[in-house]
Amino acid sequence: MVSGLTVNERQRALVVLALLAIVGMAMAAFGAMRGDLLQVHGFVVLLFSLVVLAPVLKGYFAPEPPAERLHDYYDDPIKVGIILSMIWAVFGMGVGDWVAWLLAFPDMTFDAAWSSFGRLRPVHTTGVIFGFGGSALIATSFHVMQRTSRARLADQFSPWFVLIGYQLFCILAVSGYLIGITQSKEYAEPEWYADIWLVVVWVVYLLLYLRTLARRKEPHIYVANWYYLAFILVVAILHIVNNLAVPASFAGVKSYSAFSGVQDAMTQWWYGHNAVAFFLTAGFLGMLYYYLPKRAERPIYSYRMSIVGFWGITFFYMWAGSHHLHYTALPDWVQTLGMTFSLMLLIPSWIAAGNALATLNGAWHRVRDDAALRFMMMAAIFYGLSTFEGSFMAIRPVNALSHYTDWTVAHVHAGVLGWDALITFGAFYALVPWLWKRERMYSPVLVEVHFWLALAGTLIYVFAMWNSGIIQGLMWRTYNDSGTLTYSFLDTMIAMHPYYIARAIGGLLFLTGTLIACYNIWMTIRRPAPRAAPAGDTPLPQPGAPLPANPQPAE
Amino acid sequence: MFGTHYRIERKSVVLAVAIMIVASIGGLIEIAPLFTIDETVETDPNMRVYTPLELAGRNIYMREGCYACHSQMIRTLRDEVERYGPYSLAVESKYDHPMLWGSKRTGPDLARVGGKYSDQWHTAHLTNPRDVVPESIMPRYSFLRAAPLQTAHLADDLRALRRVGVPYTDEMIANATADAAAQASPDDDTAGLVKRYGDATQVRTFDGDKDTVTEMDALVAYLQILGKLSSAAHTPPPVQTAQK
Amino acid sequence: MDIQHHMLVAFAKSYGLFYLLAMAAAALIYACWPANRARFDKAARDIIDDEDKPWR
Repeated sequence: MVSGLTVNERQRALVVLALLAIVGMAMAAFGAMRGDLLQVHGFVVLLFSLVVLAPVLKGYFAPEPPAERLHDYYDDPIKVGIILSMIWAVFGMGVGDWVAWLLAFPDMTFDAAWSSFGRLRPVHTTGVIFGFGGSALIATSFHVMQRTSRARLADQFSPWFVLIGYQLFCILAVSGYLIGITQSKEYAEPEWYADIWLVVVWVVYLLLYLRTLARRKEPHIYVANWYYLAFILVVAILHIVNNLAVPASFAGVKSYSAFSGVQDAMTQWWYGHNAVAFFLTAGFLGMLYYYLPKRAERPIYSYRMSIVGFWGITFFYMWAGSHHLHYTALPDWVQTLGMTFSLMLLIPSWIAAGNALATLNGAWHRVRDDAALRFMMMAAIFYGLSTFEGSFMAIRPVNALSHYTDWTVAHVHAGVLGWDALITFGAFYALVPWLWKRERMYSPVLVEVHFWLALAGTLIYVFAMWNSGIIQGLMWRTYNDSGTLTYSFLDTMIAMHPYYIARAIGGLLFLTGTLIACYNIWMTIRRPAPRAAPAGDTPLPQPGAPLPANPQPAE
Repeated sequence: MFGTHYRIERKSVVLAVAIMIVASIGGLIEIAPLFTIDETVETDPNMRVYTPLELAGRNIYMREGCYACHSQMIRTLRDEVERYGPYSLAVESKYDHPMLWGSKRTGPDLARVGGKYSDQWHTAHLTNPRDVVPESIMPRYSFLRAAPLQTAHLADDLRALRRVGVPYTDEMIANATADAAAQASPDDDTAGLVKRYGDATQVRTFDGDKDTVTEMDALVAYLQILGKLSSAAHTPPPVQTAQK
Repeated sequence: MDIQHHMLVAFAKSYGLFYLLAMAAAALIYACWPANRARFDKAARDIIDDEDKPWR
């Protein structure tokens, strides 16, 4: 990995890591003076920079890489990104299933502070959304931007900066929750210094994307890149606005949001819903619009539809956030706007889902035989289903029932398990053999097993939560003959118990599938490279490329 | 050559700018007016601010992720009003940076939990919820009782909150640490605290332990003030008509 | 401050719908413009086999 960098780039890495170590030491020192948790995070930053420093130093005196490398795509960061993403998947889903069991058996907390549901829940959400999803988006975007532009990444240093720097953000976030650092904004819990670091990483990411696009062969930009660009740009806007805050002290972790009450609620859910839109939808649609047609070896059914859908999603989603605040103290007109646009959102969403499925029309035999493609097809189906459900739940009377219940949890997981995770696994199963120049995955049977485990896990999870959510929502509003509420809150909680166990089992199945995927990917990587190039491709002489790949994460 | 490249670069930048413009409109139209109209937040001249102890408790509430399972927002629905009390008004979270309305009720809503249970109940419940409510699935927070409350830097917290719009006075900021200790020590001189934060300020040994101010004191003090900073909800101005 | 709010509401009520329609029309016209057809078809086809070398 490091030997592929020029000496100049290695030096740049050393400088950045040294600066990072100094920042870490400063944070630790200031935190220690104040007796603040910032001290701990200072050491985390320091340790992180040292861990990354080790491979850079080890490879520092390797000879300069040959100039021929510039005639190939630069895939090293993509490979590492895939591995990091899978590590986060196991971690995030593992914590998720653990907290699911906690809701059924609450005394499994060892009487410790860090192990309670409240602290572990954001570890789960951040681990899967930002750790797994974010790393997967970064890795696949590096692949898509190069291939669709027919251009090598604009430089070799910034992709590493983006990928590894982003890991630091995720590690700061997750470790922070465990020791009690959070600003409590859902899906934006990291404190101010981590937020600032993410802005730095994100700016480099955007510039890298634009610079690589600028090297492209054709004037037209392939539509998958539009979605990735929207993901990068809008997430930047959302992140900056939602996290505006005043730190209590620059030597401490605590900060206070610039917004309060109803304005804060609207800002938070404008962020929250559009994190779903542009992190969990736009980015993954970029994945869909590249890997699905490529794997099916058929052009996308309608390129026009993908463009119309793109502008629809970019425009409509931004209005929909207020449907999280129906019947609250938010002014009525904002609630109504949110509901209206949530309904309109169904149009571009189904355009995308329909476009994906229509692409497969005529290639169903491939879907039957190729589990990777089936992952992608199932993802498109779940995307269509959960966007329909989302629009439905945004209708005010429906929301009156569904809000605050597990129905929301069911909806979210239909989206993230059924859509985001499945499309990612499908893309990875396609990518891994391509990148490591293998004919196919180590075990197609295990891909099949993973597919059915993931599907069964998702269905069990979603049906359990649908049941518990609707039952609880109905129980809350049940009146008896004398006109008083029939059930106490506790009654409704007791009714949830069997569903919580079922949900945890569903999650366990999904997690098992992910573990199998890790094993399969690992064995594919370890398998010796074939002598002849894969069929259909021109044989590639690979000067300097690390063919017998030994992709240790550079972390 | 240079010409085509210029065009190619310009195209991706135009695309990026178009994305930003198209995406920004929704947020601008929905959020910006909330900051400009007066009707968004009802006024309550008697609205109290959190005392330093309550603020510290609120920060513990956030630290432990209580908001993940407990909402603080009673919607304008009949069953919610009957179960939890008058529906929440915007003014009640006017000083909440950030708001803790929540999105999920794994446990019940807490917007009006203040005064509903005794301090002893809260302390016992937080120490082990299943001692008080056998079917509860809430985690134990027994460690809060053993953790002395960090109060040394509360003035910084009040100052930061003042910068984002909470009307803390210089006097409140100067006495933040002392006020936090005083509120949990009824035997001490609490006249200054009550003068600064109003007669309704609750001064008690919240966790039953006189000697140390613990995190349990702070959290219970916060829970006991929920829904009591303003009385506006009990005499609601005709801002929003209840649905159903 | 109040003026700003009234301006926003007035805009939303008067031009908002037309603005929305114009934006939808712009996206549709761009997508369906005959001259773009060849470009789109080529873009859609080009990704199917792109594991060759970068052109630069």
